[in-house]
Amino acid sequence: MKVRVDPERCQGHTLCSMIAPRMFELDDVDGHASAVEEKVPADQEAKANKAVGSCPERAISVS
Amino acid sequence: MSTEEFTEDGERKKNRYDFDRHTPEYRRDFEAVTREMQARCPIAWSDTYGGHWVAAGNREVFELAARSADVISNDHDVKGERRGYKGISIPPPTRAGRGGFLEMDPPEQRYYRRALNPYLSPAAVDRWIPVIDEIVRACLDEKIEDGRIDFVEDLANIVPAVFTMAMMGVPLENWSIYNEPAHAVIYTPPNSPDLARVGRLHERMRRDLARQFAEIKANPRPGLVNAVADMRIDGETPPDEELLGVLHLIIGGGFDTTTALTAHALEWFSENPGERDRLIRERESLLDSATEEFVRYYAPVVGNGRTFSADCKIAGTRFKEGERLWVSWSMANRDPAVFPDPDEIDLARESNRHAGFGLGVHRCIGSNVARTVFKRMLVQVLDRMPDYVCEPEGTVHYETIGVINGMRFLPATFTPSSRLGAGLEETLEKLQRVCDEQRLAEPVTARKSKAKI
Repeated sequence: MKVRVDPERCQGHTLCSMIAPRMFELDDVDGHASAVEEKVPADQEAKANKAVGSCPERAISVS
Repeated sequence: MSTEEFTEDGERKKNRYDFDRHTPEYRRDFEAVTREMQARCPIAWSDTYGGHWVAAGNREVFELAARSADVISNDHDVKGERRGYKGISIPPPTRAGRGGFLEMDPPEQRYYRRALNPYLSPAAVDRWIPVIDEIVRACLDEKIEDGRIDFVEDLANIVPAVFTMAMMGVPLENWSIYNEPAHAVIYTPPNSPDLARVGRLHERMRRDLARQFAEIKANPRPGLVNAVADMRIDGETPPDEELLGVLHLIIGGGFDTTTALTAHALEWFSENPGERDRLIRERESLLDSATEEFVRYYAPVVGNGRTFSADCKIAGTRFKEGERLWVSWSMANRDPAVFPDPDEIDLARESNRHAGFGLGVHRCIGSNVARTVFKRMLVQVLDRMPDYVCEPEGTVHYETIGVINGMRFLPATFTPSSRLGAGLEETLEKLQRVCDEQRLAEPVTARKSKAKI
């Protein structure tokens, strides 16, 4: 599984990093999120899906 | 208007709802109105307040607020220099002046957010936690021996006010100049006999803010005021009235909202003691999701106005340039298509993609402050007054929820215990020295370390 945060859509709501802090890091300056690594560890896939479902801007996708 | 246009207009506006969110009935019937609009007309035309659209469905609110920035404007053209748009309030406010960058569009709006983000990001706010905890501690110590507290007046009004002063770089003791008018301008109805007094308080606040702004421009000291004073757009300093509008937006955004969220959550926990015990037991795993759930359910900022800046078709409805729109965050947050059992509070709710902090480029810039201040107040109350009981007879909610879903009073009793430290006045003197010596109000780009108390 791969995860991506669309930087054009992310507005810094930070819910993804509350759910999966190891998977999403927040920029120190504006709090916008990015994936620490594109590849999602097998034991983190459920969390990745939860992050997708929690993003108010629908900015996160998994493939 | 030609007959053809008239017919077309009727067709576009065929889904109608007489929507008046400024009435006490809207507060009383909020859940029924929400259900009806979402079932029958998730986008409706209302003739109220000069006529405007209302987006009540979650998908519709999302499409409009998050995905249509190119055809929707927040602009408040107070001097009639552009297209005369009326900003984010419906009806437009009687006071003159633009509401800071919340009443601007990109790219102008972006300059302001870039200037303020490094003071308000999660990393920036985290540095302040020891200071926030100390303000909360002092507020609770003022009441802990009495066994009685008003959670609004004695806690949830004070902490956001003092902390906003700290971030701005304004003397902490000035919080009381700002506190009452910041709430009273929201809850005082236009026909109230108290309006003149509230106006005087507001004027006193306005004067103090202008004085702080002038002082900091002349002798810079760190904080949000300095960030605003240093603002440049294409190398030019914006006019003072625009910058002061931004400072008023910070006050307006930072005070009444966090108060409203905290008071409602504390009231709910008093009514649901089993859930309170559960949060106390499972704080580590539940505090984040519970916080988001309270923001969803109580959505302190109930919605925002917008203006269509072009003819367009969104979520199946055709809109015309210049038409006004109300996007309801609070109704979008109760849409059963997105939130199962939307009118229930579920502390562990998943997939909680709420719009409580707005959606799109105007996402509440203080959201990280709000969450942090809320959590620090809540956990200390649960630690120190775990058996508190609110008194319904003394509880006062705002009569209307047209602007903020707020509360004025929330008295409670609890088993008294001992103070842990100094009272509020002495604590604020100490914290002022800490803020000054450690230059805490600097942006995270200049200082990464946490405050030391």
